Parts: sequence; C-alpha cells; structure tokens
Amino acid sequence: MAILEVKSLNKIYTTRFGGNQVEALSNVSFLVEQGEYIAIMGESGSGKTTLLNILAALDTPTGGEVILDGKNLSTVKEKQMSAFRRDNLGFVFQDFNLLDTFSLYDNISLPLVLMKKEYPEIRDRVETISYKLGIHELLRKFPYEVSGGQKQRVAVARALITEPKLILADEPTGALDSSSTDSLLNLFNKINEEGQTILMVTHSIKAASHAGRVLFIKDGEVFHQIYKGSNSNQEMYQKISDTLTFISTGGELDE
Amino acid sequence: MSSFFYARLAASNIKKNRQIYVPYIITCIITIAFYYIMKSLSLNEGLDSLYGGGTIRQTLGLGCNVVMIFAVIFLFYTNSFLMKRREKEFGLFHILGMEKKHLMRVTGIETLYIALLGLSFGFLFGIVLDKTMFLLILRVLGREVSLGFYISREAIVSTITLFLAIFFLIFLNTARRLGFSKPIELLKGSNVGEKEPRANWLFAIAGVLCLGAGYYLAVTVQNPVTAIMVFFVAVILVIAGTYLLFTAGSIVLLKLLRANKRYYYKTRHFIGISGMLYRMKQNAVGLSNICILSTMVLVMVSSTTALMIGSDDLVSTRYPYDFTYYGYETHYGDIDYANREALFDQTLENNGLTKTESVRFRILNFTAVKEGDGFTIREGIDSAGFLEDFEEMAFITLDDYNRSMGENITLNDDEVMVYSNRSKIKSDKLVLDDFEFKIVKQLQAFQCVGSGALASNITSSHIIVVKSPEIIDALYEYQKERYKDMAGGIDYIYGVDVDGEDEAQLSAYEQIRAGLGQLGIPENEAVGRVESRVEGAQGFYDIYGGLFFIGIFLGLLFTVAMILLIYYKQITEGYYDRERYVIMQNVGMSQKDVKASIHSQILTVFFLPLITAGIHLFFAYPIVEKILAILNLSNTRLYVYCTIGCVAVFSLLYVIIYGWTAKLYYAIVKK
Repeated sequence: MAILEVKSLNKIYTTRFGGNQVEALSNVSFLVEQGEYIAIMGESGSGKTTLLNILAALDTPTGGEVILDGKNLSTVKEKQMSAFRRDNLGFVFQDFNLLDTFSLYDNISLPLVLMKKEYPEIRDRVETISYKLGIHELLRKFPYEVSGGQKQRVAVARALITEPKLILADEPTGALDSSSTDSLLNLFNKINEEGQTILMVTHSIKAASHAGRVLFIKDGEVFHQIYKGSNSNQEMYQKISDTLTFISTGGELDE
Repeated sequence: MSSFFYARLAASNIKKNRQIYVPYIITCIITIAFYYIMKSLSLNEGLDSLYGGGTIRQTLGLGCNVVMIFAVIFLFYTNSFLMKRREKEFGLFHILGMEKKHLMRVTGIETLYIALLGLSFGFLFGIVLDKTMFLLILRVLGREVSLGFYISREAIVSTITLFLAIFFLIFLNTARRLGFSKPIELLKGSNVGEKEPRANWLFAIAGVLCLGAGYYLAVTVQNPVTAIMVFFVAVILVIAGTYLLFTAGSIVLLKLLRANKRYYYKTRHFIGISGMLYRMKQNAVGLSNICILSTMVLVMVSSTTALMIGSDDLVSTRYPYDFTYYGYETHYGDIDYANREALFDQTLENNGLTKTESVRFRILNFTAVKEGDGFTIREGIDSAGFLEDFEEMAFITLDDYNRSMGENITLNDDEVMVYSNRSKIKSDKLVLDDFEFKIVKQLQAFQCVGSGALASNITSSHIIVVKSPEIIDALYEYQKERYKDMAGGIDYIYGVDVDGEDEAQLSAYEQIRAGLGQLGIPENEAVGRVESRVEGAQGFYDIYGGLFFIGIFLGLLFTVAMILLIYYKQITEGYYDRERYVIMQNVGMSQKDVKASIHSQILTVFFLPLITAGIHLFFAYPIVEKILAILNLSNTRLYVYCTIGCVAVFSLLYVIIYGWTAKLYYAIVKK
C-alpha cells in the first residue's frame, strides 16, 4: 500500500515583477510504499528542496497533488496544517534545528508537549526512544554541549517520538563528519527495518547508497530511479556514482 | 599611511554595522546629555534661591551619581552585546591575517569615534534640551521660575572626564575579550549557544531582604524629619532589591516552576518558562533599569504636581488670613496694640479693601522634648537628643478660643483641650515637668492664625487651650528660666480678611510696613512683624514652581532614557528570536501559536517593570506623604489623585512606546 502518492506535481516560480517564469518542478510523479526508504538525489537547483517543501506542506504546488496516507494535502485547512504536519510527519534537518534554550530532553519532548500529552506519557516515550538511539546519558545536557552527531540523533529522536507516518530528512548528513555520518545512516537503516518510512533528500552518494530506492531529479523532472534490491551498500554506491556521472556529463539515458 | 588605513577601516566597520551601531550611538548621546543636564542642574546657582535649594542640589548631586552608575552599567552592557554580534567579523579579520594588536587598534579607533560622536552630539543635545525644556515649562507654568538657563563649564568638564573614562574602560574590556579569544572561536561567534543561567539562591534571598527592608522602612517611618534620610536609605535598598530580584530572583522562580514537571510540560508553560529563563538572563539588568527609571519618574512627577496643584491649599494653611500682625510680648497682655490695629484698618480702607473678618488672640509657643507619655524642658537644646523627639507646644486661652471659634466652652484650671497637627498625644493627661493637665477634649479642627504658623513647622505641634492668662504666664516664666535666650514668646496675633484686588493688597502691605516704621515700631524680633497672604503666596509659587520644573524636567529625561532602553531591548530580542521562530515552526508549531507565545513573553518582559514600578510606588506612598508634609502639603488625597493621574498617563505612554517598538520587533523577526 502506498503511504505517499505524488501525482504530476508542477511548481512554477514567477519572478517578482511578473517577468520570467521558472519551472522548478515539472510533472513529478512517484509512489512511496509503506516501510520504504527512499533517497532523492540531484544537483543544486534541480528542484529537490522545492519537492521536499511541498511534501512537507510548507509550500504549495502550482499543479498536481500530494496524497499522504489517503489524505490530499491540499484539502488540509491552513489552520490545521501545523497540527497535521506534527501528527503525520517527522523532520530531520541538515543543521539539526534544535532549540538551544531547551535541554536535549526538552527538545525531544517538544512535539509531545505541543500535542498536549500528559507528563507521565511524555516521560515514558522520551525514555524509550532515547535508550533506543543511545542518547540516554545525554538528556540533561544542552545542544551546545554535545557534538554534531549527537545533536542529529536528538533531532531524529524528536522526529520519531510522534510515531509519524513519514520521516522527511533534508541532507541529514550534511553537517556531520564521516563516523557520525556512518552511525546516523546505520540508525536510519535500523529504524527503517522496524517499519518506519523514510524519505531523504541528499547530495551524498554514501547516504543515498543506504536507501532502498534512489530517485534522481534533474531540471525539475524525475530523471531516473535505481532500486537497491539485493545489492550491497558498495554495489549501490557504484551504481549511484555511475548514474550521477552520466547525468552530469549530460547524456541521454539508454532505455 | 597605515594609521590612515585603520582609521578608514574603523569608520567603515561602524557604517557596515549601522543597524546595531546607530542605537548604540544614540544611547551614548542620550546618556551623555542626560548626565550633563543633571550635572549642570545640580551646579545651577538659580537653585539656591529656591526653598530648600541646598537639599535639592544635594539630591541632584546624588542623582548624578545614580546616572553615573547607570551609564557605566548600561554602556558596558550594550557594548558587550555589540561585540558579541561582531565576533564572527573579528574572526574573519583574524583569519585574513590581522593580528590581535591590529584588531585592538581598530576597535580602539572605533571606540574613539563613538566617544567623539557621543560627546559632541551629547552636549549639543543636552544644551538644546536644557534650553527647550526650560522655555517649555516656563510657558506651561505661565510664570517666572527662578531657574536660569546657563551653560556650565564645570559640568562639561566633569561629563567629558567621566565618559572618556567609561569609553576607555569599554575599550579595555573589548581588548581583553579579543586578547583571550581564539580565532576559531571568534569565527563561530554567536553560533555558540547561550549557557543556561544559574539559579543564584543567595542573591535572590538578598534581593527579597533588600526589597522587604526598603518597603518596611518606607511604611514604618513615623517622623517627617527623619523621613528624608530614611527615604534615601529605602531608595537604595529598593534599587538593590530590584536588581537582585530581576537578575537572580526571576531565574530562581522560573527554575522552581520548571522543576514541577506536571506544570512545566504543558504547551504554554513549556515554551514560556524556558523562553523566559533566557530572556531574563539577557534582559534582567535592562529591565531593572526601566523599572527604576519608571518609579523615579512617577514619584517625582506626581509629588511635584501635587505640590504645584496644592500650592493654593498650602498658602491658605500657612496664611489663614489676608493680613496678619504678630506682636511679641513678655507678659500676657502687657502691650497695647490699638495704634497698630488702627494703622491696619486705616491703610486697608485707604486701599479700597473691605474688611470681612478679623480675629485677635495671644499664643505662647515653645519647644518641648517628648519623654515617655509626657514632655519635659531641659536646659540647653543641644543636649536634648534627637530632633525626632522635639514637639512644638502652643498655648492659647479659652476666651480667645471661644471667640475665634464662636463657641462657649468652659474649663477648670487643670483642664485643657488639645489640637495636634501630626502625632496625637496618646495619654489622657498632658504632663510638662511639674505641670499637669487633664485633657478633656482632642480637637479635630482648629482654624486660627496660630495653626497656620505651626503648620509650616516640621515637628509635631500641639495647640493647647488653657483656662486663664495666668497659666500662660506661669508656663512662659517656667520655660524662659530654662531656655534663657532660646525661650519662646507670647505672640499677639491680629488677623484680618479683606475683599479686594491682589495689587491693592500688595500696596497695602507695603504701606502698613512703612506706617509701622513711622509709628516707631519697626519690624524686628523683639517687637513684631506683618504678613500678607498675597505677598507670601508669590514666594510659595516661586518655590513650588521651581520644584515642579525640576520634577517635570527630570521626569521627561527619565522617560526619554526609558524609551531608548525599550527600543534597544526590542531590537535585541528581535535578533535573538528570529532563529527560534523558524525552528519552532519547523517542529510543528503553527505560526499563530509561535507568535502568540513569543508575544506573551515579550509582554511579560515589558510590563514586568511597569507593574513592579507600581508596587514600588504603592509602598513609597507613606514616606512620600511624610516628606510632602514637611513641604506643607497635608492634602494626601491630592497626592493620591496626582499619582493615579501620573500612573495613567505614564502607562499610556508606555503602551504606545511598546506598540511602536513591537512593530520594529516583528519587522526583524519576519525578515
């Protein structure tokens, strides 16, 4: 069953004085199955970020629709949008987006507090998730006291704690060193194996090679996709690398 | 060549950062102007001609010190905020090859620019403001006040010295920060998270104690004479308490709230408490400044306004009759005043003034020292202890009382009636060494000339009605023997009310004085004197006009300082909140909720000082009331109305300032 349906999305930006029109996305369609782990790759300016913003309901498409778990995003009222986003989506950002006035504990519990959960439930869920992600020792600390990798784990914990239908990750490894990147990607694989659907936008071949499927976007269109299947991470890495070389040298893909 | 390069770099640095430098420079200008005006006012010789001018100058001198401390704290604080925002820039310069000593040189030149700009515009602004305010208030008052406008060289020198010293210290502090920092840390600069504030219980408790002690002093002070001294102590305690409570107390309170998990983990409290913790850490000093300034403005403006409005009241308390003659006697009824009264009546008539009422009676006045329930007269006033224990005794005869009040009361030899202007006699007996009387009645009101003269006396006074002139003579002799040269006398009082123009009254007054000279009874200590209400009132208006001027003047100045503070705070908050705003939306708070939450925090931050100022004002009431009593204002209701009026106007102004600066805030946040 598809948890996310993206149907012929268009996004046209008009410059301020109404002169030039820029097509950021054109006729983008794909399905994400329950429990899938998808990476979306593309160069800067290819439309990745626009796509992610539309999926996150932070931006509205010019045409086409996004259906999350049977619900068309365009039918969600503006007022309920924040709540809808909070209840259904979990976000992981490149620069963590942790609030430095909150302890890590409070950062993780923020979505639950916003959902008006009672304290005992908050406590139990924060406890469970922090053990699972190996950050239990750190909870009393503040964001400025821990490393980038630890911050990103906290951000993942915050995204997971609401048990969202879909995790949207925007360049999650972008600000991490290589060992933190490895451990974060392993963490994503682990939660994906437990059934969590993940959609990740990335530049990094390494990050993409951990995903079950990679979509390539070029000039606002879905250009190509690769399934991992039974390939190992290394084989997947090679395939992605070849595809990217191919795209950047500008050739048409043989059918 | 190279020094020219640094000078240009410094100038372009300030220009590049004008968004944060413009408010800083304005702050410097205002602070300098502010200090200059206070200083020049405290040196203004025009003040000496005012009633209590010495005290006012002393007070202004103290005020200068307060402004000085305020200036140091405030400028240091704003500068450190500036430097923090510029750390990244310094880091970049560093990496581009500038050494620390070069950076120090650049910041040194920058500081010099700021100092020069601040001082020149500060003086310009200060002098212009001095003059404008003077003219403005003159127009409002509609009459001359005895404060001239002048440029004080001494004030200019002292301002330059002080502020150059402050700027030098600021520069040293910046240099110290640069000296100890590492380039990479600078480059990260403001990205490094703000540390969570620590709860300092000791300071919080000290704050509560200071504030409590200040309030206690203000509420319990009994004697108007000691009130002024106590007032200063109380003010210092309350200022200290406010600073401590805003800085340490608020953090302790918020941490306690946070420790209560079930309370803390609710949407509103969650965001609010943690937000406030950091806001208070950054803003506590600024907010206490706003609070203290507001309190000062309110106390000053409301009390001087009350004095100004109440001056008619004051005049009629002090001068119960249009014309009064005081004659001094050594024995009850030993002098004949017929020729003087005739001179009065004749001169008044000559000036077209109709006599509407007249009284004549005698009164014995002397000072006694309170001892237990009774009073005593000791030899030598110096050895008599504290001024606090002095009370004024005034004796009149029953005949005079009955005549002036139109009553028909009888008393025995050992019975008296008592009217007390401030503290009542609690016992039912009046004991003065060997004299003992039974108090048969405490009088509530007693309108006669004597009470007017007593009203201007700062000590507690008692008017005692005794049966016969013989008793007064006996008392007179007794105190004369004790006090010798300092003894009080028996005053003969002739009071007249008239109908007529002020001009006529003034000329009649002069003519009476001249006439007395011709009669061979000039005005002097041994014989007597004349008072005219109209003439006296002019002096009163002069005095209170001057006080009112100072009150309004300083009130406006403090208000301007406060507006700047609020403006500065809003901008600071704006930059600080911008990031949080975005993150919270990303995490799933709706824009509306984020806005509401931040708005409520900002509201708390800005209205906390106003509310605290209100509380301060409430506790200051008893002591201010007593100080006003010294200045002859006993109409406390008037003071209350003035205070309420001032608070209302001030709050309105505050809300307007807040609304205006809040717009700036949202403009920054939404960018």
